[in-house]
Amino acid sequence: MSWETVIGLEVHAQLSTNTKLFSSASTQFGSEPNTQVDLVDLGLPGVLPVVNKDAFKKAIRFGLAIKADINQESTFDRKNYFYPDLPKGYQITQMTKPIVEGGLIDIDVDGDKKTINITRAHLEEDAGKSIHDAYPDKSVIDLNRAGTPLLEIVSEPEISSAKEAVAYMKALHQLVIFLDVCDGDMSQGSLRCDANVSIRKVGDSELGTRTEIKNINSFKFIEKAINFEIKRQIKVLESGEKVTQETRLYDSGKDETRPMRSKEFANDYRYFPDPDLLPVVISNDEMEEIRSTFPELPADKSKRYISEFQIDKSEAEIISSSRELSNFFEVAVESTNDPKLAANLLVGEIGSLLNKDNIKIDESKLSSNNFNILLQRISDGTISKKIAKTILAEIWETGRNADEIINDQGLVQIQDETLLEEVIIKVIESNSKQVEDYKNGKDKLFGFFVGQVMKETQGKANPQAVNDLLKKALNS
Amino acid sequence: MDNKTIETISYLARLQLGDDKKEKITKDLENIINFVDELQNIDTDDIAPLANPLEKIAPKREDSVTSKSRKEAFLLNSPESDQNYFIVPKVVE
Amino acid sequence: MNIRFKTLSELKKLLETKEISSCELVSETFKNIASSKTNSFITLDEERSLIKARAFDEGKIKGDLAGIPIAQKDLFCTKNLRTTCGSRILENFIPPYDATVVENLNAAGSICVGKTNMDEFAMGSSNETSYYGTVKNPWDFERVPGGSSGGSAAAVSEGLICAATGTDTGGSIRQPAALCGITGIKPTYGRASRWGMIAFASSLDQAGTFARNAEDCALLLNHICSHDTKDSTSISDEQENYLENIDDDLKGKKIGIVKEFDISNLNKEVQDSFEESKKIFEALGVNFVEVSLPNIKLSVPTYYVVAPAECSSNLSRFDGVKYGYRAKNINNLEELYIKSRSEGFGDEVKRRILIGTYVLSAGFYDAYYKKAQQSRRMIKNDFMEAFKDVDIIMSPSSPSSAFKIGSKTEDPIEMYLEDLFTISANLAGVPAMSIPHGFAYGLPIGLQLMGNYLEESKILNFAHQYQKNSDWHIKSPNLEEIS
Repeated sequence: MSWETVIGLEVHAQLSTNTKLFSSASTQFGSEPNTQVDLVDLGLPGVLPVVNKDAFKKAIRFGLAIKADINQESTFDRKNYFYPDLPKGYQITQMTKPIVEGGLIDIDVDGDKKTINITRAHLEEDAGKSIHDAYPDKSVIDLNRAGTPLLEIVSEPEISSAKEAVAYMKALHQLVIFLDVCDGDMSQGSLRCDANVSIRKVGDSELGTRTEIKNINSFKFIEKAINFEIKRQIKVLESGEKVTQETRLYDSGKDETRPMRSKEFANDYRYFPDPDLLPVVISNDEMEEIRSTFPELPADKSKRYISEFQIDKSEAEIISSSRELSNFFEVAVESTNDPKLAANLLVGEIGSLLNKDNIKIDESKLSSNNFNILLQRISDGTISKKIAKTILAEIWETGRNADEIINDQGLVQIQDETLLEEVIIKVIESNSKQVEDYKNGKDKLFGFFVGQVMKETQGKANPQAVNDLLKKALNS
Repeated sequence: MDNKTIETISYLARLQLGDDKKEKITKDLENIINFVDELQNIDTDDIAPLANPLEKIAPKREDSVTSKSRKEAFLLNSPESDQNYFIVPKVVE
Repeated sequence: MNIRFKTLSELKKLLETKEISSCELVSETFKNIASSKTNSFITLDEERSLIKARAFDEGKIKGDLAGIPIAQKDLFCTKNLRTTCGSRILENFIPPYDATVVENLNAAGSICVGKTNMDEFAMGSSNETSYYGTVKNPWDFERVPGGSSGGSAAAVSEGLICAATGTDTGGSIRQPAALCGITGIKPTYGRASRWGMIAFASSLDQAGTFARNAEDCALLLNHICSHDTKDSTSISDEQENYLENIDDDLKGKKIGIVKEFDISNLNKEVQDSFEESKKIFEALGVNFVEVSLPNIKLSVPTYYVVAPAECSSNLSRFDGVKYGYRAKNINNLEELYIKSRSEGFGDEVKRRILIGTYVLSAGFYDAYYKKAQQSRRMIKNDFMEAFKDVDIIMSPSSPSSAFKIGSKTEDPIEMYLEDLFTISANLAGVPAMSIPHGFAYGLPIGLQLMGNYLEESKILNFAHQYQKNSDWHIKSPNLEEIS
């Protein structure tokens, strides 16, 4: 029998605000336990929530990016349940009127494009952390995370494989980072997802019974957890049994999902409007302000780079996917007349340096100004592209001015034809065997001669001049 | 209001009624629910619910950190803690 | 000097003319409290009060209320001073912060001598649900002082203190003020900050005060009310000086009498007092107009859906994890929750949490909570319509005078009907007050004055004019006779 999978994802993105959704405590990750807890976060008697303006800005920015409807009036509700890391005994969330409704995310699975519709994205507060392994018979509670703003992004059940789920998650990951709404650090739990998985016979119109896999926090685990769950459900159904609707946890050690033992999932959450909070209204002026600072999205940027600067599609896509890299590129093209070269270096040489150090370009020692000097020196023939790599390596370490490096290390390109001719003669004389082979039709050896000339000149020879002169000399 | 309902809502509220009071409180609850059932008879078509008498909008706070750690004071007030954490019996997930 | 029964304004004058020192005032206050048999206080703060009094006497403390001892209802969080909310679950709770109302009154220089007794979590109309014992009515020790702010009302009525704060969710200031023969006011919802006020029902709770007359209430309200950025439901409109118009002429003004409040079946003395009070206003040139609040009969059922629903959620934080009472001998988390809460809360609190849990649970939300919110709007609309025609609305504060301790504890609904006249003001969010206006069965009764949104000044003006032309507010219990 053939089965098809239906998956809906609920992704929780921690918004990168300075403070919590309802209190002025810091949201910084990794602080000492219980040091970022305000009176409000501890849920002391008599304390009251006040909403964070920037959490709304970020949520709206996300909404605009996915072409969703923004509810300029949204409200908060209470979701009631008991858990030790939920200090008030309820979570404040947006049940009835979320800030963002609708929208879509484009995904790409091995070249196949698909659009996933978004149901809604709402603001809510994160819970604290329960730690179960600090004592043998006790659990301990750290409330630093309690109250951190979350944007819960709910997809329609339109994802049909683990691979698509990963692609969807990757697209969201890239987008929230680009928009500066979330730092995207999955290992710290900044972005995590719950997957609702069900299967049905191909052709069935009704959805099968679903299970919810909670809190998956890596791309790899999303794929593994969902695949495990699909197989498990098929097995259950093929043996004639029924899938139980339940909440499951993914155990990465055993690579399996298992039902949660706590009764939390069986709760009746008794949602009702939070009487401590009035409706939050985003004025037209506020909307305008958010729109006016809305960044150009990667896809649009990429298209523009290709048409405006004639750079390669693959380079355009890489540069536009990173806010920092595209900013850097856009500063560079203001003063260089060779955008293609700029793109080429950014993706190639600089890209690998960034990867090696795992940093963003604005965290490196390469300034825009210095990059432009470097581009200028390549364009005007002072240095070759090859030498540029050497210079970049030096700048990477020291941040020194490119011109200074060129002068100090005598890296100026050799353009002088007489000088180059001397070197070429020397190379031809000492490689008579290869010259003979070349003349007998082994064209590929041309590169060998270029290499030898470069070696002799420590790479400083102008490649175009070397090409021309070598051809002349070899063909004479 | 049957026993099952009382048990469900007591569990949701994490409350236990002593055997001596269970009957009386169940009866009270029944009476109160009957009393408020009067609301079922009113015509509320086209009436928007009123969640708060102030039909105003929520103020928004600037996103700047102003609160300091009160860890020691908080932990001191708690029924069980060590120098870093609030402590509860072991939770099995 | 005998300071008992002196008004706030009188004490202020005595301090100004240095006829008495603040130290003397505070010491005398503690002496009176020590000899009191009404159980009005849960926690006292003698040492710090005396330090503050000394500082005032040395000229170090200034302010509108400087050097005056007052009391705080034990529902307001007071920094480093135990705050129990009348419950066992907070028996040892010491807040690390002050409620905004407390902060405001401290800033005005007043001295908080202690925390007054109350119904547990403000749920009650008789003060009998307090874990710390019932408060006795100073007019008759066998009777209740009303509730939930029973300790504050009794303390002022007995002359232990000239002013005390209260909170009012469904009548918790006005009904005890009436039953204890003093003046009490609840301003517009949102006019006083709820920050640090332990929540019972967030959309109904409002802070207010008790004093011996309307003028003192106005002075206190000037400090109790404030716009507070820590409370999202705090009103930011400019605040009036409540003393400014308190002496305005009432000639030509209109009082509404609610058609639907049938007082003909109330005690004859209650009816007579009501008629007498009308005459006092008529003599001041006031006209009476009948107004209709057609949905007012829904207010008690509406309240007993909304308030329990909100309380069931508000009281979830008392779980024995972060602060407050934790049961002994627990084996797992579920037991920790269930035992701590079951041992920590009293029966009335449990009843209301269960009702609230029920009306919010799946399948019942629309039938109860949503319906109640709709009827709440209908009630609010009725008030707005009525205030188009009149300046204020007048009614009795409670159906009768103080009842015997224990006489209504068996039937919760009978107890709930104590708040028949007061609850609608909370549902609509309008300001309301109670002033003494006579006696029934030899015990004081109150007259309720309700105003339109933010028109605290108007009801205070009416109350003050009434008190200038009557002496009910000057009467005090004969303590020697009953003790």
